[in-house]
Amino acid sequence: MTIIIDAYCTPGTERETQLSPRQLLRMMDDAGIDRAVIAPQDREIAVCNIDGNQRILEMAEQFGERFIPACSVNPWLGREGNDIFSAAIEAGAKLLVLAPALQGFNLGDELTDELLALAGELSVPVYIHTGPHSSSAPSQLLLVAERHLSTHFILGHCGSSDYSHDMPAVFSVAPKNVWFEISLVRPWAMASYKEMADPSRFIFGSYAPRNDPRLELQYLNREMPRERYPQVYGDNLLGLFQGAKK
Amino acid sequence: MIIDCHTHWSMDQWPQNKPDPETWWDVPGRHGIDHAIVLPLAALTDDTKLQLENDRIHQVCRESNGRMIPFCSVKPSQGDPAVAELQRCTGKFHTRGIKIHPWLQGTCVNTSHMDRICEVAGDSGIPLLFHDGTPCVSLPSQIGLLARRHPKTTMILGHLGLMEHWREAISVMRKESNIWGCLCGPHVAAIKEILQRCDRSRLLWGSDYGFGNVDPIDYRLDLLKIQNLKHGDMEKILDHNPKRLLSL
Ligand SMILES: [Zn+2]
Repeated sequence: MTIIIDAYCTPGTERETQLSPRQLLRMMDDAGIDRAVIAPQDREIAVCNIDGNQRILEMAEQFGERFIPACSVNPWLGREGNDIFSAAIEAGAKLLVLAPALQGFNLGDELTDELLALAGELSVPVYIHTGPHSSSAPSQLLLVAERHLSTHFILGHCGSSDYSHDMPAVFSVAPKNVWFEISLVRPWAMASYKEMADPSRFIFGSYAPRNDPRLELQYLNREMPRERYPQVYGDNLLGLFQGAKK
Repeated sequence: MIIDCHTHWSMDQWPQNKPDPETWWDVPGRHGIDHAIVLPLAALTDDTKLQLENDRIHQVCRESNGRMIPFCSVKPSQGDPAVAELQRCTGKFHTRGIKIHPWLQGTCVNTSHMDRICEVAGDSGIPLLFHDGTPCVSLPSQIGLLARRHPKTTMILGHLGLMEHWREAISVMRKESNIWGCLCGPHVAAIKEILQRCDRSRLLWGSDYGFGNVDPIDYRLDLLKIQNLKHGDMEKILDHNPKRLLSL
């Protein structure tokens, strides 16, 4: 059996993401998760990019193989943001996280173009949170993904919950550079989603500590058994990292 | 006792003239649910079905030996016909509440039409359960404004802000004492904070069961169970609060 990688966790110190790295490791052990992507917490994604990236990189270094560090940069920083992003990748970050609702921009516009092009050049996949707000709908992610075909995108949460109505249309036209991360997708929604896209496109993530990884895995396993869909639990994500240059 | 305060029954899925509760109840029964608030579904997207679905829901609930508790729906923006349909449901069926899904029904919350529905609901002593958690017509704060204008009407946030507006839902519940919240939608960490900061005597639990043959009940119950609440608090949310809400 292939390993299990959790595509999104937030070991943070504030609000609903208070979770020490050791607590996260215990959660992972309890759920049978081998490795996890760790991402900065909300404030660090919104305004304290450098501090957040550094905190996550240090944590990954301290705990070795089990954590895969992600970084974030607010696109409003422009060129300076591109430098912050490049520096984080240079220091070992494997994934760029954008959260339009937190960072105060609309994914449907051109603000992110330079940053996304740079991610493509560096072969760093970009995880973008989508949600029920109007800053980052799945349809908006398609707009940027179609403009940046050499950049790999992970559509976080599949628009959960109310953009689920758009997902059939999104699945049917999504270009090859888009993968679908399924944290916050309710287990019963996966029953229909799995019929609409190839298993090679789905990526398991728990979104801990907002969700409980053990519970999420248990219910996902009912809809998409690990024996039948091993790639969803780790290999699809790993494949994205293997394309990275650094 | 477990009372599921957010389920749906759809006339599209159960098209028989004489609706039979047993098949629908299979899933709740399997999970040890004792009662369920049953909300319309097909009529939320097609208002030509409103009257018929209201009829059928009250019929199927009547056949359920008290297990299923009927709510009706109306489309507030229709004006007089909406008020008339609500009065028909309260008069003829003694409906126990009203479901409003603002974005599916194309209805804004802060309108004079909605005010009229709230007045009738308040006079009849029945609550309104809203879909909430999504812009631009279903934010908890929008429902909070409505609740402020109608302090005698009880309103329920049917999803407590879902995944992103749950902090807003907490603020609204703390401000407006006639707002209740149904734990049906927010994630584990949000539920934890809602439990810490909201008046637990106005919290309910719901599964949103009733969409096709999917079974969300055990997952949504697990989201509550892993909070390790004291028995008394679980009892409040699953049993005592809904009974008080519905005068059961
Ligand atoms: Zn519902």
